Amino acid sequence: MKLAPQSVPYRALQKVSGIVVVLFFVVNNNPEWGLAPAAAVAGAVVLAAFAYEVAYYRRFDYELTEDTLDISSGVISRREREIPYRRIQNVDVSRSVIQRAIGVAAVDLETAGGSSTEGSIRFVVPDEATRLQREVQRRKSTGSDTKTDGESADRPGSEASGRTDAGPGAVGPDEEELFAISPGELALVGALSFDGRLIGLLAFLSSGSVPVLSSFIPDASAVALTATAIVGVGGLFLVSWVLGAGIAFSNYYGFRLSRAGDELRYERGLFRRYSGSIPTEKVQALRIADNPAKRALGYASLSIETAGYAPGQGGDQGSQAAVPIASTDRVYRLAREVESFGEPSFHRPPKRIRWRYAFRYALVVGAFVAVAYGVNWYFGAGAPWYAPVALLLAVPPAAHLKWKHRGYWLGDDHLLTRNGFWSRTVTVVPYYRIQNVIDTRTVFQRRWDVATIVADTAGSSSIAGNDAAAVDFATDEAVDLRETLRERLRASVAEHRDRRDRFEWFAGDAEGAGDDGEPAGEGDEPVPDTAGSAPDGDELIPDADDEASSEGDDERRSDVPDDGVIRPDFSGSGRDYSEPAERIDTGEYAVDRNPSDMGGDGRNEDDEGGTDSVDDETDDVGGEANDVDDASDDER
Amino acid sequence: MTTQTLHPRVQVVWVLRAVLIAAVLTAPFVGGVYLDRLPEWAPIAAGAVFLVLGVGHALLRYRRWSYEIREDALYLDRGVVTQVRTTVPLVRIQHVDSRRGPVERGVGLASCVVYTAGSRGADVRIPGLTPDGASDLREELKRLAIRADGEDAV
Repeated sequence: MKLAPQSVPYRALQKVSGIVVVLFFVVNNNPEWGLAPAAAVAGAVVLAAFAYEVAYYRRFDYELTEDTLDISSGVISRREREIPYRRIQNVDVSRSVIQRAIGVAAVDLETAGGSSTEGSIRFVVPDEATRLQREVQRRKSTGSDTKTDGESADRPGSEASGRTDAGPGAVGPDEEELFAISPGELALVGALSFDGRLIGLLAFLSSGSVPVLSSFIPDASAVALTATAIVGVGGLFLVSWVLGAGIAFSNYYGFRLSRAGDELRYERGLFRRYSGSIPTEKVQALRIADNPAKRALGYASLSIETAGYAPGQGGDQGSQAAVPIASTDRVYRLAREVESFGEPSFHRPPKRIRWRYAFRYALVVGAFVAVAYGVNWYFGAGAPWYAPVALLLAVPPAAHLKWKHRGYWLGDDHLLTRNGFWSRTVTVVPYYRIQNVIDTRTVFQRRWDVATIVADTAGSSSIAGNDAAAVDFATDEAVDLRETLRERLRASVAEHRDRRDRFEWFAGDAEGAGDDGEPAGEGDEPVPDTAGSAPDGDELIPDADDEASSEGDDERRSDVPDDGVIRPDFSGSGRDYSEPAERIDTGEYAVDRNPSDMGGDGRNEDDEGGTDSVDDETDDVGGEANDVDDASDDER
Repeated sequence: MTTQTLHPRVQVVWVLRAVLIAAVLTAPFVGGVYLDRLPEWAPIAAGAVFLVLGVGHALLRYRRWSYEIREDALYLDRGVVTQVRTTVPLVRIQHVDSRRGPVERGVGLASCVVYTAGSRGADVRIPGLTPDGASDLREELKRLAIRADGEDAV
């Protein structure tokens, strides 16, 4: 498939605009150059950009194959990339005002690996973008194996997806709307948004110009100066607020969250239109945030975290699928739709910990007083430097509130943690999504005999430091919590595996094949049983091992007789199986042309043995495993 | 597997690092003396303080460090000022590296890095292993991780 033709001039102009601006400044600063050469250079640059973009357009190609989305791109250095559907975390489509005017859309595909967008298709026509989005989802659900079914079977609403009968020709499942922002809510989002960037920018700019400014100051009287300062700061805050309101308004205009089968879809934006999809099975954590104002009014916000790197997350808003604001019970209802946790009742840290916070705040007040004293002494102003002592009155309530809003709760399948008074965040982490559990005790915490337990997930915003943490719990309780989390993770993994194995058993059975979400046609021509012995350990086998180890692996694996492991019935396929599977190095990560985890029937109890788990990145046996899967794919 | 401690020679690596850091931190004091802004004893005192703190930290760190492979998880206990105990469930291990830096090679040691998909504890490093020990640990963790059968972790 090709890009939209109108993307060529758009991309070219996009690229050139920066260069032209630079050129403009260069010419401005060197008047002797004259206009004509500048125009010539600009023209040449534009032409070059056009030529490049035409080449880019001609050489960019993407294709939806059975198992992967293949993108080949690059004018000078070619890149062929294959992204298995199962690995795609979210598909995002965005359209800015100009893009909407000329009728193109940008498609970004996120996988969990890497910190950047894995697949970026710029630009296609909007219909094609939507088609890509739907098609990726459809192929993911039909092409994925029984494991996905197992994973999603316990999720509410997935029964209604109609996914089990989604054959290759079926259209995507119906959408069920979960949330749509109301005008009142949108107004609230705007009113509660405040953009601090302007203030930051001004502070940054003025920090360099203080000496310049201070030379003007003595001219004015103190009263006029104070009045100007107050008006200026007030105006600044007003502008920041209006700016924040405007940005929030344009970001969340027409926000809509819906569920389609196993997938959440969102849409938002006034000027730049965003839409995207998140597979529910890839949700890592939910985050429900509020602040005192929102609590008083009964509102909260919700964000949904996936392991993929959410676009725009570095810059403006958090997760793309965040519900900016809604009444608290609506937020909880929505959150339970995604992850069915029960009615939480939080455990608070021990009461004595309030003393710790009180000490901490008292120290802060002390520091304030010291700074005030120092400033006063330095300028000899004789101001009441001890005034901040009055803040000590606020220390006990602050300590109490801090304690009051901390807590954790262990649900049936989820860990909930709660932290913060000014911006209180409740984090919902399914036990199954816990990656590791970290128990930290600082020197001060040890003095109070408390510890902090962090349940680390692959969610992206925990990079910013707001993980699911149970802070300041008594050491014994913390150790218990740590062990409980480990145990529940183990139990939930076992449960998932059980369910998966059960489905596999059906998958091997010709009669049961139609019942478990396998594509139609599977039952007509059962895949040979031996094909099922393709190992599934490939996901966790250390594929980034050093070379030395993979060599060692090769030696050990060569002991395994080729025919002892895998010898399926190859009839019905024209492939030459004496050759190892074709492998492609995409540069940033290697992908199999026939990933063994894509096959619907690629697992059975054999993988418990461990020894037959084959690293398909490094050796020929693994290559054959892929061939086996390919065989089963051909059967379909 | 019982609780394992690190190879004592890892203290050499850490003490060397502490000396290096102390030297870097002392440099401004030396500069101060050259510019006649500080008395001559200042760099010596500062250097001594940094050295004692750094070396003490390195030695305590060695004493605190321990790891253990239990039935379903890898436990690490470390940290002097802030004690950190990490539980890495074996099912969540993505891949395992063994690596040897130049200093480690100098004293004949290696370390082992365990990666998970988590964002905060994404990679945990077990330093102070003998080269054989590091590859053994790597193989052991790999074997256990396969046995634990981690399916799609994210």
